[in-house]
Amino acid sequence: MTDKKTGMAREKLVNIHVNGTACEITVPAWRTLLEVLRELGHVEVKCGCEKGDCGACAVLLDGEVVDSCLTLAWNADRRSVMTVQGLGGPGKAHPLQTAFIEHGGAQCGYCTPGMILAAKALLDDIPNPSLDDIKRGLSGNLCRCTGYTRIFSAIRAAAQALRQEGGTS
Amino acid sequence: MLPSFELLEPHSLDEALKMLATSEATPLAGGTNLLPDLRAHGRAGRRFISLAALDQLRGVEHKGNRVIMGGSTTLNDILRDPLMPKAAPSLVSMAKVFAGTMIRNAATIAGNICYGSPSADAIPPLLSVDAEVTLTSAAGERTLPLDSFLLGYKKTAHQPDELLKTVAWTIPAADSANLFYKLGRRRGDAITVVGVAVTVVIESGSCSKARIALGSVAPTVFRAKEAENILIGGPLTAATIDQAALTAAQASRPIDDIRASAEYRRHAVHMLVRRLLTQAWQTSGAKQHD
Amino acid sequence: MNRMENPLAGVKSEKFRQVGKPLIRTDSPTKVYGTAVYAGDLTMPGMLYAAVLHSERASALLRRVDTTRAKELPGVHCVLTAEDLPASQGVMTDMPGQTGGMTKNTKQPILAKDRVRFCGEPIALVAAESVAIAEQAIGLIDVDYQDIDGVYDPFDALAPGAPIVYGDDNVVASYKIRKGDIEKGFAEADVIVENTFTTQYQEQAFLEPEAALAWVDELEVLNIRSSTQVVEHYRAVADAIGLPHNRVRLRAEFVGGGFGGKEVMTIEVWLALLALASRRPVRLVQPRERSFLSHGPRHPFNITHRTGVTRDGKITALQISFTSDAGAYAKLSPYILLYATVGATGPYRVDNLHVDSVSAATNNLPACAFRGFGTMQANLACEGQMEEIAKTLGMDSMEVRRRNFIRTGDANATGQIIRSAVWSDQCATQALAALGKRPENSQTTRIGHGVACYQQSYGRILWMKDSSEAWVGVEMDGTVVVRSAVADIGGGQSSALAQITAEILGVPMKEVVVYFGDGAVTPLAGTSTASRALYMSGNATQMAATRVRENLLGCAGRHFSVEAEELDMNDSQVFVVGDPKRSMTINDCVKLCAAEGVHRHNLAIFKAPTSEGIDPETGQGEVFPDFTYGAHAAQVAVDIETGEVRVLQSIGAHDVGQAINLRAVEGQVEGSALMGQGFALCEELILEQGQLQTRSLSEYLIPTSEDVPKIKAIILESGSGLGPFGSKGIGEPVYAPVAASIANAVTDAIGVHIFELPITPEKIVKALRRKETVG
Ligand SMILES: Cc1cc2nc3c(=O)[nH]c(=O)nc-3n(C[C@H](O)[C@H](O)[C@H](O)COP(=O)(O)OP(=O)(O)OC[C@H]3O[C@@H](n4cnc5c(N)ncnc54)[C@H](O)[C@@H]3O)c2cc1C
Ligand code: FES
Ligand code: FES
Repeated sequence: MTDKKTGMAREKLVNIHVNGTACEITVPAWRTLLEVLRELGHVEVKCGCEKGDCGACAVLLDGEVVDSCLTLAWNADRRSVMTVQGLGGPGKAHPLQTAFIEHGGAQCGYCTPGMILAAKALLDDIPNPSLDDIKRGLSGNLCRCTGYTRIFSAIRAAAQALRQEGGTS
Repeated sequence: MLPSFELLEPHSLDEALKMLATSEATPLAGGTNLLPDLRAHGRAGRRFISLAALDQLRGVEHKGNRVIMGGSTTLNDILRDPLMPKAAPSLVSMAKVFAGTMIRNAATIAGNICYGSPSADAIPPLLSVDAEVTLTSAAGERTLPLDSFLLGYKKTAHQPDELLKTVAWTIPAADSANLFYKLGRRRGDAITVVGVAVTVVIESGSCSKARIALGSVAPTVFRAKEAENILIGGPLTAATIDQAALTAAQASRPIDDIRASAEYRRHAVHMLVRRLLTQAWQTSGAKQHD
Repeated sequence: MNRMENPLAGVKSEKFRQVGKPLIRTDSPTKVYGTAVYAGDLTMPGMLYAAVLHSERASALLRRVDTTRAKELPGVHCVLTAEDLPASQGVMTDMPGQTGGMTKNTKQPILAKDRVRFCGEPIALVAAESVAIAEQAIGLIDVDYQDIDGVYDPFDALAPGAPIVYGDDNVVASYKIRKGDIEKGFAEADVIVENTFTTQYQEQAFLEPEAALAWVDELEVLNIRSSTQVVEHYRAVADAIGLPHNRVRLRAEFVGGGFGGKEVMTIEVWLALLALASRRPVRLVQPRERSFLSHGPRHPFNITHRTGVTRDGKITALQISFTSDAGAYAKLSPYILLYATVGATGPYRVDNLHVDSVSAATNNLPACAFRGFGTMQANLACEGQMEEIAKTLGMDSMEVRRRNFIRTGDANATGQIIRSAVWSDQCATQALAALGKRPENSQTTRIGHGVACYQQSYGRILWMKDSSEAWVGVEMDGTVVVRSAVADIGGGQSSALAQITAEILGVPMKEVVVYFGDGAVTPLAGTSTASRALYMSGNATQMAATRVRENLLGCAGRHFSVEAEELDMNDSQVFVVGDPKRSMTINDCVKLCAAEGVHRHNLAIFKAPTSEGIDPETGQGEVFPDFTYGAHAAQVAVDIETGEVRVLQSIGAHDVGQAINLRAVEGQVEGSALMGQGFALCEELILEQGQLQTRSLSEYLIPTSEDVPKIKAIILESGSGLGPFGSKGIGEPVYAPVAASIANAVTDAIGVHIFELPITPEKIVKALRRKETVG
């Protein structure tokens, strides 16, 4: 759809690779990646504030963790998005997921999808993070249930598992 | 839910500048200021120019003792730059306590500066290293000290047709210290109650240059120049430091808000400036003895 | 009191195979894989989107609410105001109990009519084709307000001549306790210590804002799938809109945090009305800034203690007054005040006691349930007062506590005899010891240690006559099903039922499926509030599973020609103890049952003890089934120049009776540690003339990962609780002492007590200045 007065595109066909699958959707400029992902059925991406305060909506955009509520869908055009479902699932769990399950890193679970992706980005950057690195890496992801302690221990366990994996393969 | 808007997506800096010159549009960088504002109380139908595709605006160049940082450099880029801890230690300390990871990945240095908020965390460190900003438009380029770029509450010298292209500064001298502290109501992801950056340069046991930049305690981030002058020309004794800190506190024009009272903020300026100057004197002094 | 002995407590309690172990919660994998469904994730064909218009004024007449322009907007399906509502006009916010009894007049209009009483009160509802259209329609509703005098402070509200918020006066509830001889008690005292403590509004700040989907189905049943702690709100919805109870079905999805904020009905009735009016499915997810307006935060309390003590620290008399700000509607304020009143003395025995409590209506946000439910505020004052008494007497505060701890067999504030174990001393001693040595003070930081104990009830008020049902069955292949309408609010509520059942039927926990949270097809289990879910539903599940076990073992016994007592079940096998060759799989056993026509399932009901209430003049009587005891200790570093506080260690030690899932219990302690830290230091809803100033998670600050101290949970097990296997309720209790322990640690660090929460850097700086000028 083009605006008659300005000749500017008001809507655009964007092509987003979500967890490896190409998704096409026509959206106006003001739609956020969060809205579009949820519209595409990726309701594992949660919404807690829509303004960058909570991190529940965090996804990886070309490997970088962003708040999808502050990312325009147009900005994800021809880029790849990973949600927590893309990280792994039953039978093919990512070490972070295994560790979150084993350590009890999720209580109500609402912060969990964003938390795990922030953790993934952290471990991609710093494979052997200190406790301070972990705290800094998660400071944009609020959790009201756990007190974060089990999340920290899960991330340390996952980091170790990932390093061992890396070491053997 | 965001109100409707139009978004132009230039692919080059020239194209962007042409768009800015010919249409009334606002640059959109990381969007971490603009989008929450729009969502909270934005009117529909505005026009933005996305800077996302302009790679030439992003990145840090180290040229001898000069650092040139593109406007679209993100806060996380600063943390990832291996040379930055030397080039501007206060900027790195600041980036570590700036928002959370996701915001640090999106938020840009130009956005932080051009939004002109008194609580903009990147500005005190940049003022403390005498940064200059280069603004570019279809008509040409101009460079001015960051200090004179900031005019008032959310008011800067930025013209509607301009983009902030780079922020540049000279790496502080060897015998110097450059420190930052952010006081917030919680440790992570907080809006600054008082932000302080200081630089102290020491030459043969005497302070040859001092910078004190303060955030969140006046309509705009500012340098407490009178306080800086007190420090010049001698060793930094406890008395001199305290006098400078008190002067900085008096130069502050804070307000009461939900985070703290004006009175407390002034007190905190006094305490934090004193503390950082003391640390700066000790660390830079220590360097001299090496 | 009609106290029912728990017939199953203690069964094989020494040799649990699964209970007490840190097994993986059944809800963990789905949450971690991102497949768990929350109410806001649900969609249906033809679904509409709702939006709510909340009042911008705190106290005003509604001269006109004009929806014409909103209704004309293309894509809008219906706009509802008070005019369109059924005659009943009210939602019952009274505590829903199985008996449906309503004891307080707590009706609140669904939508404001003629008058708004708080900033945020709902005025109109819209259902439209998209969120954007619904929001636009909200913006097109014209409201003509005429401001009228409001009252924004509970003491002002109680003063003569104050504007009346509703009803005849601004007294929402009041209680008193008159116990022993207070005059004599004060006469026996060597010193009298008096202090006033105040607490602030605290927001639940669950990460998932209110969300629900409602539609009318093919059976003309109104369905609601919601993020709620209380499935039994289906009755309140039905009553409010005039439907029979059997035509409303409420299902609780996984709740993304509740903490009491999703206890009273939030958005369900709005959606019910919109679904009925539009005949389409309608979904609402409250944006965060409106979530702050859609449930009640924790009540601000003002608490004065006047304590008479002997020189050796024994309390001889205690006079306490409470004033709480209920806000513009009662909601659960009367009950919360009752909890504060009953909990007034904390974990201490006080024989000569006067308590006077009152809750006042104001034009502030209506406050409501929040983890700790009044008791925690009462406790905070007790624990602060312990420090002040100790300081006055020059004693160690733990010694003062030890002189006064309530003990098993003692009567509490309302004269109820404590029957369970009271391990306050052990818990406090262990928590303090775990802090280890104090680090050195630096030039600008002072280290402080603080401890706080508590007494917090679990289970509902006895005259609510609480009960819970659960169904346990074994399928023909030996797999196990539990059905319970318990709401799973993130504490492992459904998983605990699986763990209990797995223990009793000897199957792996992960092979148990729990169907939960459906008010129509799972047996009603009561609320997930009052730290009662495990206690009540755990007991019901234990009863049902035990009966199924009896049936299975009966069949197996006949097969092996042994008594049932000689058999055991484990690893999905039924076997003769000590004779492993004589065994069969559970599915073979189930087939035997089926062939014999023996039930492979059981529906059990667990009924809590009951009482008929307290004497209104003396406040004496039995109020709660039982109490949990424990302690929290904190180590803080205070920057004496800037007033910043860093919590370095935070350690909870609690007698949980019996842990069902060790990891889940520890998780509650850890989560509480940080939530209580927020209450002590940085969380505060700020209202100015009733207008909420902190409407986002960047203004209302909950602790982040950067704020986390070293947190540790110490779990003690007395086995003396009324829950399954001797467990006690823990969800609220573990929260009760945290803020007080941090406040006490700050006092210890700086030598001045800050009586007003939250303890901001600013208050510390001011207190230190006062100390300088005075000292
Ligand atoms: C949750 C959260 C936490 C935050 N925490 C902090 C914090 O700790 N400290 C802090 O200082 N800030 C914080 N912020 C504010 C914000 O992130 C920063 O100010 C950020 O640097 C803004 O950059 P941006 O690229 O996102 O700007 P945008 O929102 O894209 O733009 C901001 C302004 O700058 C203008 N602009 C952007 N780029 C240019 C350019 N090249 N030339 C001219 N004008 C330009 C825009 O037109 C706009 O007026 C936070 C924000 C959020 C949402
Ligand atoms: S929903 Fe995006 S940060 Fe909260
Ligand atoms: S698990 Fe509930 S918010 Fe993190």
